[in-house]
Amino acid sequence: MGRFVVRRILQAIPVLIGVTFIIFCLVFALHGDPIQALAGEKRADPNIAAILREQYHLNDPLITQYWYYISDLARGDLGTTYNGRAISEIVSERFPVTLQLSLTAFGIEAVIGILAGIYSALRKGRFIDNLVLISTLFLISIPVFVLGNVLQLEFGVKLGITPVAGIEDGWPSSYILPGFVLASTSMAYIARLTRTSMMESVRADYVRTAIAKGLPYRRVIGVHALRNSLIPVVTFLGMDLGALMGGAIITERVFNLPGIGGQLAQSVYLRERPTVVGLVTMLVLIYLVANLVVDVLYAVLDPRIRYE
Amino acid sequence: MRGAKSAKWVVGTIVVALAATACGGSGDSSGAKSDGIVSMEIGEPQNGLVPSNTYETEGGEVIDALFTGLTRLNADNKVVNDLAASIETTDSKVWTIKLKSGYTFHNGEKVTASSFVDAWNYGANQDNAQQTNALFSHIAGYADLNPGEGKKVTTTTMSGLKAVDDSTLSVTLSASFSAFPSQLSFTGFSPLPKAFFKDPKGFGEAPIGNGPYEIKGKVKHNESISVVKYDKYPEAKDYEVKGINFKIYSNADTSYKDLVAGNIDIDDSIPTSGLATYKKDLGDRAIDESDSGVGYLGFPLKYNKYFANAKLRKAISMAIDRETIASKIFLGSRMPADDFISPIIEGYRKGACGDACTLNPTEAKKLYKESGGLPDDKLEIGYNADGDHKAWIEAVANQLQQNLGIKVTAKPFEQFATILNDLDAKKYSGVFRMGWNMDYPNMENYLAPIFSKDAIANGSNYAGYSNAEFEKDLKAGDQAPTSAEAIKQYQAADDIILDEMPYIPVYFYKLNAGYSSKIKSMRIAGGDVLWDTVKLA
Repeated sequence: MGRFVVRRILQAIPVLIGVTFIIFCLVFALHGDPIQALAGEKRADPNIAAILREQYHLNDPLITQYWYYISDLARGDLGTTYNGRAISEIVSERFPVTLQLSLTAFGIEAVIGILAGIYSALRKGRFIDNLVLISTLFLISIPVFVLGNVLQLEFGVKLGITPVAGIEDGWPSSYILPGFVLASTSMAYIARLTRTSMMESVRADYVRTAIAKGLPYRRVIGVHALRNSLIPVVTFLGMDLGALMGGAIITERVFNLPGIGGQLAQSVYLRERPTVVGLVTMLVLIYLVANLVVDVLYAVLDPRIRYE
Repeated sequence: MRGAKSAKWVVGTIVVALAATACGGSGDSSGAKSDGIVSMEIGEPQNGLVPSNTYETEGGEVIDALFTGLTRLNADNKVVNDLAASIETTDSKVWTIKLKSGYTFHNGEKVTASSFVDAWNYGANQDNAQQTNALFSHIAGYADLNPGEGKKVTTTTMSGLKAVDDSTLSVTLSASFSAFPSQLSFTGFSPLPKAFFKDPKGFGEAPIGNGPYEIKGKVKHNESISVVKYDKYPEAKDYEVKGINFKIYSNADTSYKDLVAGNIDIDDSIPTSGLATYKKDLGDRAIDESDSGVGYLGFPLKYNKYFANAKLRKAISMAIDRETIASKIFLGSRMPADDFISPIIEGYRKGACGDACTLNPTEAKKLYKESGGLPDDKLEIGYNADGDHKAWIEAVANQLQQNLGIKVTAKPFEQFATILNDLDAKKYSGVFRMGWNMDYPNMENYLAPIFSKDAIANGSNYAGYSNAEFEKDLKAGDQAPTSAEAIKQYQAADDIILDEMPYIPVYFYKLNAGYSSKIKSMRIAGGDVLWDTVKLA
C-alpha cells in the first residue's frame, strides 16, 4: 500500500508539468491583450503599456514565458498578476472560501444523497421511493443558476433566513444555501447510484446468508450491504470533490462568494496567464489527491481489491 | 475529506448550521439601523488604492471617500473649489493655486503644496507605470519623466510644478489648457502623504488619505472595504454618514437582490434584470438621471476608404431609430443621443445633432445612394460580447438593413481589446461599437481624447479621424481665458464633428441607482456618491 501511494504521488509530477504547460498554451492562444484589458475601454497609455509588457515578459515567445514561470515556480514563487498583486496572496485569500463551499456541498451531497438512496432502495415502490425518484429527477433537470437564483430569492430576499450573498456571516450560515445549490445535481446522482447499488446488494447471496445466520437486520443492511454498495458511490464522490472545486464558478457568482471559481473566470477574461495556471494547477492537485484517496478507500471497503 | 464515514458529525453540523442561519439572518439587518453606517455596492478595485493608479470607477468610488482634491463636482455637476481656496490664471497656462488650511492626512501630517507636487511627480513618472500617467501630460516637464520605452528617466520632478510655500502651488502647463481646473477634480490629482513614498504597495492596501473618511483596517479583497469618518476633517460636521462599508460584488444581479432585501443601502448599478421593476421595488428611493457616458458607433476612417465619405456616415446615422433602442432595448436606461457632449456637461446643446441623429429612412436611403454606397451593399458591425451590447447592436443591424436596404451583420468579438488590436493592425474594416465615460467634467474631455490628432497614437481616437479645422477650434478652446469663452470654442469644434460624424452618437447613459429606507436622500455626481448630501432617515 505504501509503495502504491508513493508511486501515485510520483506519477503526479509529470501530470502537473503537462497540465501547466497545456493551460499556459491555451491562455496564450486566447486573443486579447492583458495590458489593454487593464485599461478597460480606453486605450492603454502606449508608453506605460510598453513598460508593463517589458516587466512581465509579454513580448517574449511562449516558451520563454513558460520558462520564466516554471523557474519562478520551482523557487516557490507563483508570480504576480499584471496589476502587481502576488498570486500566492490571491490563492490564500480565495482558496479557503472555495474549500469551505466545496466541503459543505460535499457533506450535504454525501449525507442526504446516501441516506435518500438507502431509504428508497429499502422501500422500493413505496411513497418514499417515488418521492426520491421524482425529486432527484427535478434536481438533475434544473440548471444550477436557476436553482441558485430561486433559492436566493426565496430564502434570502423574501424570507430573510439566509444571507442573500457574501461571506460576512462566515461558516456555516453563508455557505449552507450555496453549498446546497452546488451539491444539488451530484446529490441526486448519488441518491440514485446508492439506490441501484443497494438494491443489488440486498438481493445478493451474502446478504441472504447473513439474514439466514440470524444477524440483526440493522447490521445486515448497515455493514454487509451498505459497505459493498458504497464502492461506486465513493468513486463518484471522489471525482466529484474535484468537480465541485472547479465547478463552483456559477454558484460563487450567484452568491457573490470570493472563491477560486470567480477568480478563475476573471483571470481568464483578463488573460492573466500566471494566475490561471496557478489556480488550475491547484485544482488539478486536489483532483489528484482526491483520486488517490478514492483508490485507498477501495481497499478499506473491499479487501478483495489488491494493489500489488 | 470527511466522507460517508463521519456522517453523524456532518449531520450534526448541518443541524447546528441551520439553526445558526435562522438566527444570524434576522439579527444583523435590525442591528445596523441607527449607527450611521451605510453600505454600498462596488466591484473589486483593479489596483491598490493609490489615486494616481486608479483609473476605473470601482476603486475610484473608494478613493473619492478617502481623498479630497483641489476641486470637486457638486450636486449640479459644476466644478467647484474643494481643497483649493482659489485657482487663478491670466493665460490658462500659469496657474496659481492657494490651499485652504486645516486639512491633514489621516496620520496627522499636514496637507501642503508639496503633498500635491510629490504626488503628481510620482504619478507622471513612467517608471512607476501609473494608470493615470497621461492625465499629467499638460504639465510642463512631463516629457522629461516620460522619455519613452527603454529610455531612462533622468529626473524625478516636472519643471512646471512648484510649491511656492506650504499653501501656494504654482503650476505651469506646457500649453494653455482652460479645462485644467475641471481636470483637477479627477481623483488622480489627489495629494499623497510622505508615508506613501516609503511603501507604495503597502499604501495601496491601507491608504492614508486626506478626505472625510479614513480606512478602517485594510482592504479585504473581493469582500469589503470599510471606512469611518475622519473627525479632524474641517467639514466633518457636514457628513451625516459615520462610516461606509463598501461591499464588493462580482455580479450586479446579486447586489441588487441585496438592496431589495435591505442588506445594502446604496447600489449605483441596477442590473438589466432589475430595470423593469426597480422603480416599483424602490419607489422614491430609485434614482434615474443623466450620466456622463456616451455610446457610439465608430468607423475605421484611416483605412476603409468607403467610410471616408461623410454622406455615407450620415446616412447610417439617420437610419438608426435611437428612440426604440433607448426605450425598448435598454428599457429606458439610456436616452437617445443628440450631441457628442453628455447632457450633464456645461456646453451640451439639446438637439445639437439635429436631423442627422433623427430617424428618417427616406432621407437616409437618398443619402446612401448619393454617397455611392458600400461594396456589395454589405456592412458589418463589430461589438464586444462581454458587455451588454449584443441586443442593441443587433437591433441597429436590423434597422440599417431595413431602412437602407443593405445587408448588415453583427459580429461579436470576445473583448473590446480584441477589437482595438484588430483596428490597430488594420485587420478589421467594419463599423465598431464604442463608448466613452468622462474623466473630468468638461467639454474638452469629450472631444480631444477621442477625435484629436494626438489621440490617434496616445488616446482613444480609434477612428483615426483628423481635421485641421477641428484641431484649431480645440486649441482655441484650450487657450480661452474664461470658461464661457472656452465653451464657445469647444462648441465650434463640436459642430465640426456633428457635421462630419467620424463617430455616430447613439445613446447617452443614464444613472440607474437606488438606496435603502435607511437613507432619506442623496445625490450622485459624475458617477460618485456625494457623501455630504447623504441624509439618513
